[in-house]
This record gives sequence, C-alpha cells and structure tokens, in this order.
Amino acid sequence: MAAVLEVEDLVVRFETHQGTVRAVNGLSMSLQPGETLGVVGESGSGKSVASLALLGLVPNPPGVVEAKRLKVAGQDLLGLDRRGLQQLRGKEIAMIFQDPMTSLNPLLTVERQLTEVLERHEGLTRREARKRAAAALSDVGIPAPETRLDSYPHQLSGGMRQRVMIAMALLCNPKVLVADEPTTALDVTIQAQVLELLKDLQRRHGTALLLITHDLGVVAGMADRLHVMYAGRVVEAGPAADVLTSPLHPYTQGLLRSVPRIRGPLGARLDAIDGSPPDLAALPAGCSFAARCGLRTDACTKSPPPLVPVLAGRRSACLEAEALLLRSGVKA
Amino acid sequence: MIRFLARRLLWFAITLLGVVTISFFLMRAVRGGPFDGERRLHPAIEANLAARYHLDWPLWRQYLQYLGPFDWSDQGIGALLHVEADTDALQRLPADRVEGRTFRVGSSVVTWTGELGPTPLGGVLTGDLGPSFKYRDFTVNDIIGQSLPISVALGSVALLFALTLGLVAGIGSALWRGTNIDLSLRLAATAGIALPNFVIAGFLIILFAFLMPLLPVAGWGSPRHMVLPGFALGAPFAAYIARLARTGLLEVLSKDHIRTARAKGLSEWLILVRHALKGGLLPVVSYLGPATAGILTGSLVIERLFGIPGTGSHFVNSALNRDYTLSMGVTILYTVLVYSLNTLVDLVYTLLDPRIELEES
Amino acid sequence: MATTARQSKRSPAELQALLREARAQRGTSLGRDAWRRLRRNRGAFYALVFLGLFLAVSWLAPLLPLASPMALDLAVEPQPPAWPLTVNPRRSLAGERPPFGAAPTLSVGALADDGWAHRTYVDVELETPLGQLEPTENPMVRALVTQTAERKATVYLRAGDRPGTFVQRHALPQWDSDRARIDWQPSGERGAVEGTLVRGVDGLYLKLALQRAPGGPTVLAAKARTAVEGVEVELVVEGETGRETRRYPMPWRAAAGARVVGLQLDGVRLPAEAERDAAGQWPAMPDELGEARLALEIAGRSIQLSADLESVKLVDTAGERVALETRARVVPELRAVVHDDLGSRIDRRLTDIGRVVGLEHTDGIWELSALDAGLLHLRTRIFGLWQTGPLLGTDAKGRDLLARIVWGSRISIQVSLVATLCSLAIGVTWGAFAGLMGGRIDNLMMRIVDVLYSVPFIFVVIFLITLLNEYRVELADRGIGYMTVFYVVIGAIYWLTMARVVRGQVLSLKNQEFVEAARMIGASTPRILLAHLVPNVLSVVIVYLTLTVPAVMLFEAFLSFLGLGVEPPRVSWGLLAVDATDSISAVVIYWWAVVFPSLAMGSVLLALNVLGDGLRDALDPNLRGKD
Repeated sequence: MAAVLEVEDLVVRFETHQGTVRAVNGLSMSLQPGETLGVVGESGSGKSVASLALLGLVPNPPGVVEAKRLKVAGQDLLGLDRRGLQQLRGKEIAMIFQDPMTSLNPLLTVERQLTEVLERHEGLTRREARKRAAAALSDVGIPAPETRLDSYPHQLSGGMRQRVMIAMALLCNPKVLVADEPTTALDVTIQAQVLELLKDLQRRHGTALLLITHDLGVVAGMADRLHVMYAGRVVEAGPAADVLTSPLHPYTQGLLRSVPRIRGPLGARLDAIDGSPPDLAALPAGCSFAARCGLRTDACTKSPPPLVPVLAGRRSACLEAEALLLRSGVKA
Repeated sequence: MIRFLARRLLWFAITLLGVVTISFFLMRAVRGGPFDGERRLHPAIEANLAARYHLDWPLWRQYLQYLGPFDWSDQGIGALLHVEADTDALQRLPADRVEGRTFRVGSSVVTWTGELGPTPLGGVLTGDLGPSFKYRDFTVNDIIGQSLPISVALGSVALLFALTLGLVAGIGSALWRGTNIDLSLRLAATAGIALPNFVIAGFLIILFAFLMPLLPVAGWGSPRHMVLPGFALGAPFAAYIARLARTGLLEVLSKDHIRTARAKGLSEWLILVRHALKGGLLPVVSYLGPATAGILTGSLVIERLFGIPGTGSHFVNSALNRDYTLSMGVTILYTVLVYSLNTLVDLVYTLLDPRIELEES
Repeated sequence: MATTARQSKRSPAELQALLREARAQRGTSLGRDAWRRLRRNRGAFYALVFLGLFLAVSWLAPLLPLASPMALDLAVEPQPPAWPLTVNPRRSLAGERPPFGAAPTLSVGALADDGWAHRTYVDVELETPLGQLEPTENPMVRALVTQTAERKATVYLRAGDRPGTFVQRHALPQWDSDRARIDWQPSGERGAVEGTLVRGVDGLYLKLALQRAPGGPTVLAAKARTAVEGVEVELVVEGETGRETRRYPMPWRAAAGARVVGLQLDGVRLPAEAERDAAGQWPAMPDELGEARLALEIAGRSIQLSADLESVKLVDTAGERVALETRARVVPELRAVVHDDLGSRIDRRLTDIGRVVGLEHTDGIWELSALDAGLLHLRTRIFGLWQTGPLLGTDAKGRDLLARIVWGSRISIQVSLVATLCSLAIGVTWGAFAGLMGGRIDNLMMRIVDVLYSVPFIFVVIFLITLLNEYRVELADRGIGYMTVFYVVIGAIYWLTMARVVRGQVLSLKNQEFVEAARMIGASTPRILLAHLVPNVLSVVIVYLTLTVPAVMLFEAFLSFLGLGVEPPRVSWGLLAVDATDSISAVVIYWWAVVFPSLAMGSVLLALNVLGDGLRDALDPNLRGKD
C-alpha cells in the first residue's frame, strides 16, 4: 500500500535577526494508511514545527521549509501553490491542536466552524453541511449534537471542545491526521476518553495518525511506531513497544527514566536529564545531545551521527547504539 | 437583553437627572443673568422679562417648572412680550407692573398687547425644553430642531470618513505588516492623532480654496459642502481607528484559532473576513462610543471654521450668554446622544462577542 | 492554599531576604530594561531627543535673539518669511520719549530694549478721489498726523467701511499721552482716565472711566462735568486731615459741551454726580443711553421699530387705552467715537479732509518671572540690539511668527504639564482609594466615574470657565490667576481615565501573590503600598501621563480656539491657530501663518505620541526582556 505521508530530509529554519534558528534538521518519516506514528520529544525539539510544515503552515517569513521529499496523499507539498495547499489542508491532511481553548474561534458558533470545512472542500450547501456536522458531532460522542451546533466554544467544556476539534478534523475523511499534543491541555480522565475516541475513529476511518506528544504514556497506548526527536533531529525510530522497553539512544533512556512511576519506590528521586537542550540558533557540530550524554566520546562532537539501522526495524542516531543494545540484552 | 436595557435606562435617567439638576442650580448660582447686556433694561421691562421666564420665582419652583410635567405658574402664560422701549423718555418715568399685561407708566395705565409666547420654561420630562432667553422668538426645541439635522449630517459624514478611512488603512496596514505601506500608514495615523482638527481644516482650506478649487470650503447645503468639514472632523478618529484596527487584527491573526482555520484549508480571504475581522475589530466597535462624543465636541470648532449653522455654536454661545434654557437644552441633547450611542455600541459589542453577557456590563 | 503551605516552610527572615532581593533586582532592572528598550525603539528615541531640544529652546526663549512676540513691525500686512538679521528697528526712537513722564510699559519687549514700545494706530477715513480705483496715500494727512502727534508715522491703507472711502492707518510709537490721561501728582496718586464720546441724537454724550492706581484714599463723592477747555473731574476723598476735594481738569476740547452721562470709577458705574450715602454705598447708576426697540400694537397692527428715538410721547386716547406716539427718526449709525486726546486732536485738525474713525492701542502687559527677566538682560548683553528678522514671516498684526511660536510653546507646555499633574493628583488618589477599599465604596466611586464619562465634558469645561470668569476679580484678589483656574479645570476633566487605569492596576496587584507574601510576613500596609504597589502602578501612570500631555495640549488649543483659553497678550499655540484661521481670507493666502504654527504643534504632538507609545512598549511588563 502506498504511503500517505512521505517526508525525507525535512529542514525548517527560521531566519531571525539573531541568526538562523534550525528547528527541524533533516527529519524523515513515512506513514501508511491506518497506521499511528508517535513523535515524542521535549518542548523545543521541533516536533510541533515539523507538524506545521506538513500542512504548509510554517509562517514565511521568517520560516523556510526545505525537503528532498514532502508528499501528502501522493501530492508534492513543496510544488503546490497557495490554492493547491489550501485544497489539501482539511481534506487530505487535517490537524488537531494542543489547546482546544484557543484553537476554536470564540466568536463563531460550532456549526459555522464545522460547516465551513464542508462548504470549502465538498461544496455542500449550508443545510447539507449542517446535517453532516451534526453527524460528525455525534460520531465523536457529543450528546445532543443539534443543540451543540448552535453553541459557542466558551459554552463547552474542555473535553467537549477537543471533541469538536477532532470532529472538525475528520469531517472530510482526511488520509492523514496530525494530532499535536491532543490531550495535554485536558484533565487526565478526559485525556483517556479523547485518546480512546481517536483510536476508535482511526480504526473506523482508516486514517493515518501522526501523534505528536511529550507524554510517553500516551504514545505507549496509541502508537504503532515511534520517532524520538531531539533538537530538530530524529534520534531514534522503531516500533513503539520496542523503543519504550529497550531504548537504543541515551536521550530516549533519559526520557524514560524521567517519567514518574506509580510502582516505583516511595520517595525516590526522578532522574531528570542534566543540562538543557542546545540553542537551536547555534547547534554544536556533532551530536546535539553530546553535551548532556553520559556515553560521550570524542567522535560524538565531530559530526552529527546519522540515523542508522541497528536492528530490524530499529534505527538510532547514536554512535554507541551497539553498546546500548548489548547492555539492554535485546537479541539481534 | 431587556434587563440590560432596563438597567441602562435607569442609569440613564439618574445621569440625566443629575446633569439637569446640577447644571440648573450651578448656572443660576453664577452671578449675572441672561439679560445683563451692555445696557441696562428699564426696570419695568426687566420685571416683565423676569416674570415671563419666572426668574422672580424661588429657585426650587423654577426647577420644578423646568423639569415638568406640571405647570407651576399661576398665570399659565407669560406676561409681557416684546417690550424693550428704553428710551430716555421712558427711562425717567416711574413704571410698575400692575398685573399681567397691565402696566403703569407715569400716570397712565398701559396694557401691552403682543403675540403670546411659548409656554414659559417648558418641562424637560414632556420633551419641551422651553423658550430661549436670547433668541426670544424661538423655543429651544425650534433652535435645536433647526440646527441638529445639520450637525447630525456633518457628524455622520465624519464618522463615515473615520470608519472607512480608518478601517481600510488599519486592515491594509495589518495585512502588509512590516512593509513600507504599513510604515507610511502608521506614520499617517500617528500624525492624524497628533494634529488638531482645526489644523487639518486649515490645510484643507488652503489646499482647496487656493491650490485646487474643487470643493467649496464654506457654507452648507449640498453634499459637496460636507466633504471637507467631514474629512477634517473625521480624520483624527480615522487615525485612531486605523491604529486600533491594526493592533486588533494583528493580535487576532496571531491567535491559535486562525492557525486552525488555515489548517482547515480556508482561503486567506475567508480567514480574514470571517475569522479575523470580527474579533480584530471589536476594539474599534468599543471605541465608537468615545469617538462619537469626540466628533460632537470637535464639531464645535469645525462648524465655526467652515461656517456651518449647526448646534456647535449654540453650545458655546449659550453658556456665555447665560441663555439658561438653550444651554441646558444643548447639554441634555448631548448627554442623551452620547449615552444612547454608548448603549448602542455596548449592544452591538455583545451581539458580536458571544462571550460577553449583557447582565455583567 | 498551596502557595502558603510551601512558603511557610521557610522562616520569615529567609522570606524577607528573598523578597528584598527580588525587589532590588526588579527595581534596578525595570528602569534599565525599559531604558534599553526605549533606546532600541529608534522613533521613540528621536522623539525624546527632539522633545529635549524643543524644551530647551522653549525655556531659553528670553535668551534667544528673537523679535518680540507682541509687536515687532509696524507693517499690518503679513510679511512672508525672509532671512535678514536686523537691528531692532525701534532703537531710533529712543530719546524721543514723550515728555509726559510716564514710565515705559513693562513688557517682554520693554525689558529687552525700551525701544520696544507699543503702537498707537490712528485710522483716518478719507474719500477715494473720483476716477481712482486703488486708494493712494494722502500725504497731507500723514503730514498732519505726524505734526500733531510729534512723531513719525508709518502709513498703511485699507478699504473703508463705507463705499467710496478708504482708511489711511497711521502707526505711531505709543506715548502715554495718546490716551486721555492725568497725572495725579498733587495727591501722589496715579491712574488713568479714558473717555468715550458718543454722538447721539441730541448732541454729544460723554462717558468717563477713571481707574486709579491701587492704594489711594477712599473716594466719598465724585463729579464729572465738561467745561470749555475739556473735562473736569472732582473727587471728594478721605484725606489724612479729613474730607478734601480734589479737582482734576483734563484739557480735551473735543469733549467740551458734551453731556456727561456716566462716570466709571475704579470699575463702579456711577452717575455723573454721585455721593456715597451714610452706609458707604454708591447710588444706583441711571440707565444709559441706548438704542430702543419697540414692538407695539397700534390700531391692531403690530409695528416693530429699531431706531434711536427722537421723542416718545404717551397719548391718552380714551380712558384706559393708551397708545405710544413716537416720533422716531431712523438715524444712520453715527457712532463717531472719538476715543481720546490724540484722536480728537487729529480729528479737529482734519476738518473737511476726512475723519478719524478709529484709534487703537496695542498693549497689554506680559509680566515676566524674575528668571526670564534675567535671561532677557543676559540676552541684551550677548546680542545687543541684534535680533532675527521675520524668519517665518509675520502675522496679521505684524508680529514675528517665529517669536510667537517659541513664546507660545512655553504656555502650551506649561498648561499641558501642570494640567496633567492636576489630573494625576486627582486621578491617582481617586483610583487608588477605590482600588484599595474595594467593595461597595469602590463600586460607588467607579459608578461616579462612569456617570461623569457620559457627560459631555466640553460642556463642563465651558461652564466652569464661564463660571470662574465671573468671579475673576475675587479670585485674583486671593492670588488665583486665570491660568491657575485653567489648569485646574483641565486637570479636573482628565482625571477620569487616570482613575480607572490606576484602580484597575491596584485591584489586580492587590491580590497578587507577592503582595500576599509580603502581607504574610507581616509587612505593614503603608510598607506594602510604598514598596510593592507604587512601583508597579508607576509604570502605568508614566505611560498614561505621556499620552495625556499631548491630549491636554490639544485641548488647550481647542479651548483657546473657542476663546475660552489663554488670553492675549499672552500667546499659546491655540491662539496661533486662531490667528492662522483668521488669516485665511478669500483673496490672499498667508500660508506661513497656517503652515508654521501647524508644523510646530504637529511635530511636538507627534513626538509626544511616539514617545508615549515607545514608553508603553518599553514599560510593558509582558514585553520585559524581549525586544
């Protein structure tokens, strides 16, 4: 089956007065229909910027997007003009944003915000669009969708709003759904509901899901495959379960160690990763993580280590990946 | 909605009553009256005038009469009219008012006849603002009725100029942010805010009277007469609106929900018109109240400069002339105008922004 | 409360130290940070430099070799801008002081150079010779005026008010003897008399106004009469030795034989003969001569007349019904007003050639502060008699525009600064009090502000100013000048927004955690106010102030434009704008009179606005540390 999303060597930089900020440095990924790819990384690792680049939403200026290949549903994003991009967005690729409080227009009714997508992409009349919108709302589990259509966003709860966002994104049955931290702004109980909903919808519609989050727990429950990003680069990639159980990059290890465990010993300190992420305007010559890495060697600071296969289906951008592999005891 | 309007109306009544009461008593408290001219009037005439306008009553009674709707005068109508004979000969004759229109001059009893004037002092509550003290053949209602349409027309043209120019400049400035267009528009806006309207008017008059005589620079009558004063009056407000629109629009355009709209694949035009303008122009809407008040104030100057017979001149002159009723009438008119426009603006604002509850405001 | 629980683990002393540290850091960095960002904002920085330079020029105005802002040239026609550097033209008149013994008027000009005396204008109406379109100067009249006045006259022509006439205006250096004026030498008193002659139907009427210098003895009775030689005023005063009668004869032939209809003594209107009664009260003033308007109904027809009446007769026709029979002669406007000695002297000599139709004095006293007077003397030391010519042209009264702009800026700046401070004082007190009290009081106070907002405040200003104008003399007696009143009135208008802003800020700060923390460790209320609230409110106040100053400046111009503001001889930018609009006529265009004052005012207001915006950005805590 043809990949619905193909990204090769994506570079996003921002030309500012202080110099060039490299937010994304050579990101590659592909997504099959119905598949879920998780992208994790701490704030500032470039994952949100990358997702915006997939929709052509990086503001230019100051942002510049370059890639060897950037294809969504078979169309080359870089070759499209503005009109072409607009036809792609919302129809082939849709996005759910982090904060449902601010991502919905507070001055327009839910109906207006839903129907305009259908009017735009499917040329429906207002009446037809309203029916579809109501159906979509009930699809995401909103009770009494007809009355909800006439509400304004501030009259809805946070979880409800995120459901509206999801319904909006899925209205035109996009091939790719990018969810940028879809649950971060929600209460834990609502989080689970929303994730469950996403999973369910994805199964029914066969949508490919790009799930961007900093929450390893979310990824563990949702993603088939996982990309770990650090300072604009993918440092590790592989099946989600494997990456989370036996990380092959010291950064992934650090991330996992810094997650609090319910069953851990009482009073145990969390292992935070020492130091802070590098300045994206002045990236070091070698591995971006080298300064914070316990396994650093001289070679690490020479040139950025490439993302190479270590095991079947597993890639890591660490020169010491072999050593990590041996230590973790995973069989080759 | 109805509760909101009712509450507004209540506050309006309180405000108006306060304005009427305070200005009524303050005005009477000030030394000097409406008939203190260069020359002194014959005492008989003065008495007559005082009787006609009930200036001989105690203040509280005058106040109640002015407020209406009950007539407190025992005669019902004013006494003597149009009598201002103060020649040397008359001066020296002792004169007493006998009663009503009968008048003792010297040894004779004179009955003065003349047309009957309007109900003295009127009643504000019944909408009658009373007779003017200075323009004795007119009621305040007459004067306002004649001049208000002119002022309103001028004000509307100015507001129209302010809105169109301001919005076009502001939106353009926001859309082409950082370019030279933006820079020059912003500079023009700052200049517009800084320059007083009579300076702008002066430049306009020089320009159109001498350099390119396309439009009339004085007078009133045709729509062509409205262009220059309307522009001069509206320009500072256009500048402020431009600035508000630019800031508001830029703020909205940087919001998350605009990104959502882009992600939905909407065209930039639709995003601007449907998603950004409404929120971005909310500050402009709330500025419209003060702007209207400002335009009313500014019209004092502009009407004088362009020779327009509007309400503005009455405003200043009536206070200087001690034309109690006219002065009060114009004040009441302006208070009503400003207050109802403010309420209207608040209503529009709540219609535009569903997050605002009317009860709160 | 999570915050409290966590904080309570630390000792109060420790907290105190932390707070002190945090505050010290904030105090220094807020100002420095703002200054840094202000400097980065190029527009605001240039605006600041411009305003600094402007303020310097404005305050050093007496030191600059500018022409007098009150009267420079005799030319009545505005002159276009030119670049000469001239010697004060009036120096040549020095030594020609009038023999009348009066001291020179104290004025801006007089302090710099006593040659800067004021002008007297004698307007003579002449018939335009037949067949001549343009009026030409009548040299005979000029010679006559020069001879009579014993001074050199400069002549200008303008069209007359009546068809077929023109007015030849003679501008003369003003002498004190130009007005009827007596020297109160015998009693050691000084004062002035001004007479007005009115030609009425049945002859000449004379009104005399006597203004005595303050401090003289009390007048018990006054009498004015005319004699062959002129006018005589007789005053009975409370002398040191009891009642004494003083006579002051004034030679004024033109007034001889006129009927004295009134005497104004120190501002009190009196009959020609008046004596105080036992209670010290003057008798009531008889009514003055005036024109009459009649509206009568005679035989059922309403007749309205407006005329000087020759006679009025009451005719008793039948019992009760009485009609007025009038022999009204509609007299042409014969207001041949002979103002004073010089005018009537010239008028008499003119005989049939023409008549004096007007006599004007440019005068007024502009008192200078000691500092300004000192600067003026310094200026004469440095520049001598040199001064700039009409660099920016002159206005309709021949006054130098540059000087007027510079001197006018001083008053405009002064008004805007003082009025802004007034608004600051009222607004901050009101707003802070409301914000701190909270609850019902806050609600009530803010509701009052709301109500005041919806009153058209221009009315309030007009009203207050007319009201206070009425009590001007009393206020002046208590040392409250008109300008002070003006400041307070404007300040009283502009405090509303300030109150709202401050109250909002106080309200939001009051509940913030650092204030709670301070309260928790036991800081006193004044301490919290001074150390925590004031610095935070200050930045908002500063920003609002910089935006209020231009608004007030604009408002001053607006009021002066309406004639409610600064009064001549002082000059402000509003008055310049009035002059500018007055100089716009349908025929000629004195563009400089409009353009230069507008440019000056516009650029200063622009700079203030830019600076205000820059300061707002620089002091905005949300933008701190960013660029």
